[in-house]
Amino acid sequence: MQKKVLVIDYEKCTGCRMCELVCSVFHTGASNPSRSRIRVIKWEWIGLYLPITCQNCEEPFCTEVCPAKACHIDLKKHMVVIDKNKCMGCKTCVLACPFGAPLFDEVERVTVKCDYCDGDPQCVRFCEPGAIQYVDAGEVSGVKQLAAAERLTSALRKSPGM
Amino acid sequence: MNKGLIYLKPQRQWGWEVAVYLYLAGVGAGSFIIGLLMDWLGYSPYSTRAILLWGPILVTIGAPFLILDLGIKRRFLNTVLNPKTSWLSRGFFILSMYIVIGLVIFGISILPFLGISISNWSSLLLILDVVGFILALATAIYTGILLQSVKYVSFWNTSLLPVLFTVSALSTGSMAIILSTLGYSILTPSEGYPTQLMDVLISTEQVLIVIEAIVLGLYLFFRYKAGEEGKGSARLLLSGDLKFVFWIGIIVSGFFLPIILEAVYSQFQEQHFLLFLNGVFLLIGGFFLRYGVVYAGIKDQHPLQKLIQTHYNLRTLKENYG
Repeated sequence: MQKKVLVIDYEKCTGCRMCELVCSVFHTGASNPSRSRIRVIKWEWIGLYLPITCQNCEEPFCTEVCPAKACHIDLKKHMVVIDKNKCMGCKTCVLACPFGAPLFDEVERVTVKCDYCDGDPQCVRFCEPGAIQYVDAGEVSGVKQLAAAERLTSALRKSPGM
Repeated sequence: MNKGLIYLKPQRQWGWEVAVYLYLAGVGAGSFIIGLLMDWLGYSPYSTRAILLWGPILVTIGAPFLILDLGIKRRFLNTVLNPKTSWLSRGFFILSMYIVIGLVIFGISILPFLGISISNWSSLLLILDVVGFILALATAIYTGILLQSVKYVSFWNTSLLPVLFTVSALSTGSMAIILSTLGYSILTPSEGYPTQLMDVLISTEQVLIVIEAIVLGLYLFFRYKAGEEGKGSARLLLSGDLKFVFWIGIIVSGFFLPIILEAVYSQFQEQHFLLFLNGVFLLIGGFFLRYGVVYAGIKDQHPLQKLIQTHYNLRTLKENYG
């Protein structure tokens, strides 16, 4: 549906949570990760981190269950958006989303979600290891193939006999 | 580490306010249905029907709890005035109509106390009663549909849930009528103890509680079978974080103690406090049924998270994200 998407390579993520910080600063002015539109899930004991945000599904669950019709597909932007002026904070979309992507903002008392920072995602800008990338939707598989090729070459280099 | 078992946390989006709303709407509607049925069958013992028809008051108290759970409460009306959009707004209309009609019926039923005769109103009352009965039934069923309409929570997405909530509404409702009748007969000894009504009510109650137990068992069984998500919810109730809510709140208080106490009460008919105790336990059980079902409505872990866990063999995640 959308032109550009966020692609996440969890193997690159260091779990620094800078994305959460800059996201909350950009959207709310407060450096408060609990109000961020992106969340890093952690498995500390093995050092694995997974940043998760809205996937802008083709057939979103959130838009279907929203009783206020605040959560809807914006055809111009090619993405799912929540109208802040309509949302009454019933949290039904949060219940329905399999990614846990819409998040309830305790300060604004409405549900918020990733809007790609109007075309310049701050999480991508500040992600030092490059775990989050903002690419054309058509290129997603290309990016993944490239990463797989890189992994393969590095593995080959390390292996004995090469 | 218990390998192979993933215990998820209860959902945190809809809180106890929703459970209170569903519970009071259920008891209020159920007691009204049972009360009207008793009146139609001719068991109404006193000069007034008020003691059977006070259910709408409970629904009136319960309705604001749904709004309490919202982020921005004043936007509630904007949303619910459009009935096409959601079950939330359809429910708002059902409940509002039921509250209005129910309170009118209740109001008329207390008129004899004030010395106003309503003997000429029987045809008007009959129409009101039928409309009120249908709306009360709709309210009881709706409490389940509200949860069912969040289609993507597997634990709620079954038509057994409205059935379960309706049966529970009838059983808690009939208990509420038993308690109010008993209370009234104790407070006004001159009117006498309505033996016939109480016998019918108690046997209705006993049948309903057995039906409710069967429906609850079926509900949990089919939800357990309904994929990983439903299994996670059922497990959360049976042995996870909500196990005390389930075993003590729902099973012991809602089924076990009432059945035992009713058996004891049938031997000692004079000990009315046994019936009171029984009623209190059953009503508490009814609340925890809603509470447990609401909090166990968790969604599955999202696909990426599951992929990573399978990939790295992490089968002991305790935290539910979101």
